[in-house]
Amino acid sequence: MEKLLEQLALALKEVTGYIYPNEIELHWGLLIVIYPYITGLVAGAFILASLVKVFNVKEVAPTYRLSLLTALAFLLCAPLPLLAHLGHPERSFEIFLTPHFSSAMAMFGFVYAWYLLVVLLLEIWFEYRKSFVIWSRTEKGLKKILYYIFTLGSMDISDEAVEFDHKAAKFITVIGIPSAFLLHGYVGFIFGSVKANPWWSSVLMPIVFLFSAMVSGIALVLFLYYIITLIRGEKIDMKCMDKLASYLLYAMILDFSLEALDFIHRVYESEESIKILSKLLFSKLFVSLLIIQVLLGTLIPMGLIAWTKIIKLPSELRRVIYFISAFLVQVGIFTTRWNVVIGGQLFSKSLKGLMTYKVELMGTEGLLVGIFLLLLPFIILYILLKLLPPWKEEAEPVKESKEAHV
Amino acid sequence: MPQQVKRLIVVFVALILVFFVIRSFLVPPTFGEYGHYRASSVKEILSQNIKYAGEVVCEECHDDIVEIKSGSYHKRLSCETCHGPAYEHSQAPDEYTPYIPSKRDYCSLCHGYNPSRPTGFPQIDPVKHNPLRPCIKCHNPHDPTPPEVPKECKGCHEEIYRTKILSPHALLNCTECHKAPEEHKINPRAFRPTKPSSRKFCGKCHSKEAKVSEEIPRVDIIYHGYGNLCWECHYPHFPEAHTTKKE
Repeated sequence: MEKLLEQLALALKEVTGYIYPNEIELHWGLLIVIYPYITGLVAGAFILASLVKVFNVKEVAPTYRLSLLTALAFLLCAPLPLLAHLGHPERSFEIFLTPHFSSAMAMFGFVYAWYLLVVLLLEIWFEYRKSFVIWSRTEKGLKKILYYIFTLGSMDISDEAVEFDHKAAKFITVIGIPSAFLLHGYVGFIFGSVKANPWWSSVLMPIVFLFSAMVSGIALVLFLYYIITLIRGEKIDMKCMDKLASYLLYAMILDFSLEALDFIHRVYESEESIKILSKLLFSKLFVSLLIIQVLLGTLIPMGLIAWTKIIKLPSELRRVIYFISAFLVQVGIFTTRWNVVIGGQLFSKSLKGLMTYKVELMGTEGLLVGIFLLLLPFIILYILLKLLPPWKEEAEPVKESKEAHV
Repeated sequence: MPQQVKRLIVVFVALILVFFVIRSFLVPPTFGEYGHYRASSVKEILSQNIKYAGEVVCEECHDDIVEIKSGSYHKRLSCETCHGPAYEHSQAPDEYTPYIPSKRDYCSLCHGYNPSRPTGFPQIDPVKHNPLRPCIKCHNPHDPTPPEVPKECKGCHEEIYRTKILSPHALLNCTECHKAPEEHKINPRAFRPTKPSSRKFCGKCHSKEAKVSEEIPRVDIIYHGYGNLCWECHYPHFPEAHTTKKE
């Protein structure tokens, strides 16, 4: 109790203007910032993968499998911030057992299950099935058994069967695109449909979320591709990097335009909330929104990538620029989520005062848990990359096909 | 049908079957009978001990008191709000006697002065208002109209009184601006006091032509805030405008 009062006393000092008594404590903290950030990365990485399968962008093919595995690693972690925030994770299964169709939040379980089971796992399975079969024959020990289980007993790797796998993967990607839109559009919908909150309530919210998801997903895969290729000591495919950077730039232009449209619309409408929102923007969110999100996270990376398009730079410099831009974009998108989630709770419903939010270090919603939840997808991705190496297939099938011919 | 599809169908059918088997064990059998909840919970709730009797039951024996109360300011209060849960008393009146609040702090839960309470709601300062005397010595809780009607407005409008004494309007009596009919003291909501209905009223002191002290702030009473009554912008019990010294 005393600790709570101490925290309250600290928070009270930061309050400006008039707020209602129950507004001093923010209900959605750091974990709810991480949740849309991670979900956005899933949707973005998947949409990048779909560029290869559906839109036949050959240049980014080296990142296809990496994108899928990245999406899977992050998707597996997507519900964890919610479970940690709500507590009692054992109750989360109730939303599947007794579904409540009129609640958007309750329906998320089904969107998630659909995306995981029907879209992502199926696509990865079809994409890797041939490799699974080969690895189940060439590997030894536990790995052999594991790969055999992964094949689900479907050992046919004849040309027709592999051709069918490709077609199936393409078909799933086609279904996957609207599903990815649904997955992340839903997160925007949750915020956009809170009509009592002028910072959130906007029909553009799901669309802005979607485009920022694409930006973050492409940037993450670019970032990972660069680092992984360096660690593996392989040559970086500059055509792929250039194309990724181009798509990143296009997505950023669209995302930034949409956000600017939303901003201009709000300013022009000038609803009663505009005064407090502008105060919020220039006080509590000045650094995180104007400096980090807009300047560091959007304008600088956009300018840097645009620079590489205008002036011919050596590939070594280009890829470093892409790497820095991708990193800045990640920081920018994280603060975008922060500004939406925390920003929306920093002003009073009276529209006459501003609150404050201080991240705690320990506890289930603290900084340490947040860092862990942000690192966990990378650990899972590491395991997935060890287990399902995206680059290994290129060598093996040749061997296999030779063996088959013999 | 390709082998892959067959295998996937087996896996998915197995998953769905497992889901429904688990569901059949975990979802309570009566779930959804009436709505999105466990129907048997209604029986569980019904089987809990009843604590409250309800006013209708009280009236069966205490009709005289209920009649007095129904004509008083406490008519909307249920008997058990003050006397506590009385189901046991209704079943065995001699064995269980309901609680009778007699201390000052109980009444001040509602009637102690608190600035967030609505204006006109009877409020007293428990320290100053007839100290140490139990409320029920003077007020019959079943018909709590004060034995004497308040002599001053602050008897009920304490919040405004406290605000006004700190303002430049401290020396003005309430009746300078409000005409309160005598019935207002007995029946405050049916007979409301008046409010100034023209700008000229405030102009008596605040217009440029007013023959009063120079320290009183002056405005052009015709054009200043044209179209509004003065008190629509200035809170008259604590007017924020200050005199600007003439050079």
